[in-house]
Amino acid sequence: MTRRAVLTGSTGIVTSNATSLPFLVPRYDHDRRPARSRVAILQATQYSEKLSAVLWDGLKLFNLDVTGKSVLLKPNLVDYTPDAEINTHPLLIAAASECFRRLGAGRVVVAEGPGHQRDTQLVLFATGLAQTLSEQQIPFVDLNRDEVAKVRLRADYSRLKHLWLPRTVLEADFIVSMPKVKTHHWSGVTLSMKNMFGVVPGVKYGWPKNLLHWQGIQQSIVDLIATVPIHFVIADAILCMEGNGPLAGTARRLDRIVLSDDPVAADATCTRLMGLLPERVPHIAETANFLGNLSPERIEPLITHPISPATPFQTVRDFEHLRARAGLAALALR
Amino acid sequence: MALEPTCLALMALQLEQHANVQVLLDDQRPDGSWGAFGDDDESSGLTGLALLALNTLGVFPGPAARAARWLLDIKGREANWPWKWKFRTTDTHVRFDPDKFGWPWQPGTCSWVVPTSFALLALKQSFPCCREGKVAYRIQRSVEMLHDRACPKGGWNAGNGVVHGSPMAPHFDATAIALLALRSEPSNKLIDRSLVWLERQAHSCPSPWSLAWSILALDAYDKPIAPLQNHLETLSEPDETYDTATLAVTALALDCTTSGNPFEVVV
Repeated sequence: MTRRAVLTGSTGIVTSNATSLPFLVPRYDHDRRPARSRVAILQATQYSEKLSAVLWDGLKLFNLDVTGKSVLLKPNLVDYTPDAEINTHPLLIAAASECFRRLGAGRVVVAEGPGHQRDTQLVLFATGLAQTLSEQQIPFVDLNRDEVAKVRLRADYSRLKHLWLPRTVLEADFIVSMPKVKTHHWSGVTLSMKNMFGVVPGVKYGWPKNLLHWQGIQQSIVDLIATVPIHFVIADAILCMEGNGPLAGTARRLDRIVLSDDPVAADATCTRLMGLLPERVPHIAETANFLGNLSPERIEPLITHPISPATPFQTVRDFEHLRARAGLAALALR
Repeated sequence: MALEPTCLALMALQLEQHANVQVLLDDQRPDGSWGAFGDDDESSGLTGLALLALNTLGVFPGPAARAARWLLDIKGREANWPWKWKFRTTDTHVRFDPDKFGWPWQPGTCSWVVPTSFALLALKQSFPCCREGKVAYRIQRSVEMLHDRACPKGGWNAGNGVVHGSPMAPHFDATAIALLALRSEPSNKLIDRSLVWLERQAHSCPSPWSLAWSILALDAYDKPIAPLQNHLETLSEPDETYDTATLAVTALALDCTTSGNPFEVVV
C-alpha cells in the first residue's frame, strides 16, 4: 500500500467532506505493527444459543491469556429501528461473555455509548440486550455517562490532541471490539475501529459525537485507535448492512463471524468479505502504516470460510470507489 | 458534578430543602456557560438546561444574565458563511437549510435538536415579553431550525430529518423536548403530527427516560397523561434506576400535575 494509493482512495471523501483531508504526513508516535496478525473467519448461519460453541472453538485457536483480567466487550449499539440490522446481536454478546468467563477472565463487562440514541436503556430494551444481560448477569456500563478522564491522543491526524474518555475503558485490561459489519455513509465502512467512536462520551461530545465529524471522521478514528488499544475483535458478520448505513441501509447476509487479534487485519478482512477494497478506506489504510496489518501476506488465517460475493456491498455514491470488481477482494482472502 | 443530572435533579428537588443551587452557581464559567462536568475546560451546549434550572429554582439575575448572553453569542457552525456555502453547494447529503440554526452540543460544531430546544426554552423563559434585537432573532431562527430539521412524518431525531435520501425515525426525548420548546408557537401541522406520534408511541415505550420526557411534553400540551404516569411507575424502580438524570426526569414527570412542569413556557 502506498501513500499515492491512499490519496487516490480518499478522493471521494475529500470532495464530499471538506474536513477529511488526505493523510499526507504520518502523525503517529511509533510503529506498533505486529509481525503477523491472526484472523479466523467462522461460519454461523443464524443467531442462536449455538453461537457460544462456534465462538469457543474459534477463540481457542488464539490461545488468549485473559486469566484474572478485566475484559470489556464493546458492541456496536447505535439506535433501534425495527427490522434494521444496526446493532451487534445480543446472542453474540452473550456468547462472547460466556467464552471470556470460561477463559478465566476476572470480570467481563459490556460497555457502550450509543452515538445516535441518547436513551441507552431504550436501545438495550428494544434490542433484547437488557434481558440477555440480566439473564446472564453481565454488568453494563453506559459509556456516554461514565466518569471520564482527559487523555492525550497518541496520534495527531484530527488535531484534537486530547479526548475525555471513560474510566471504565481506560481501566480495562482487555478490550474486545464487537462491530456489526456495515457500510457507513460518512466513513465507507463501520467495523472494529469505527466502532470505537462509542467509547467517546456523549455527555461531553453530544449525540452524535459531532466534534469527531468536524475534525474528520477518518482522522478521528485513527487517533482514537492509536490511543485506546483494541486487543481482540469479534465481528458480527452474520446479518450485515449495506447501502445507506449505519442506520438506514438494507440487510445483507454473510453468515460469518470474524475474529482477530489485530483490528486492522480484522477490518481489512471484513471489508474484503463485503467485496470492498480496504486499501481505499483511509482509516484502514493509515492504521496499516503503524498499528496493524492490512496486507494478506502478514495475516495468518487460522480458519477460513471465505466467501466471494457475486456483488460487492452497495455503498452510497461517495464510496462507490471502494467496490471491487467481482472476486477481486475475495482473492486476498484465499 | 455532571451538568445534565445536576440540573435535572435540582429541578426535581425544587420544593425540597436539598436543592442546593450553589453547586450549580459555583461551576458557572466566567463567560456564563457551564462545562459538561466539573473538570471540563470547555463550554457545553447544555448551558441552556442550566439556565432553565436557574429559572426554576429562583431569581439569580447575574448568573442568569451571563448564561443568556453566552447563549446569544453561540450558534451552530453551519450559521457561518463558509460552512453555509459548503452545505449549500458541495455537501448536500443531509437535507437542511443552514440559514436556520440553533445551538450545538459544543462550540465549533453544528446545531442539534436537544441543545437547541433547551436553549430556546431557556431564552423564552428568561425573556417572557418584549423580545427585541438578538433575543428575538435567535428565538426566531431556532424555531425555524426545529421546523426545518423535523422528521418527514413528524417528530425529531438527533438533528436531521433526511440523510442521504433516507428519512430518519423520531426519538422520544428529542421530540418531547422540541415540542416543549415550541409550545408557545402557533399550532401547525408539524406540531400536530409530532404530538400524534408521541401520544401513540408513548404507550408502548419501554424506557423511563423516554417515557418521562414524553409525559412532560404531553402535559404541556394538555394531553391526558395519567395512564402514562401509571405506566412510568411500573417501569421505574428507584433502586434500579439507571442514573441520576433518569431518576430526576422520572420524578419530574410523575409530579408535573401537582408540582408544576418546569419546562412549560407561559403562552
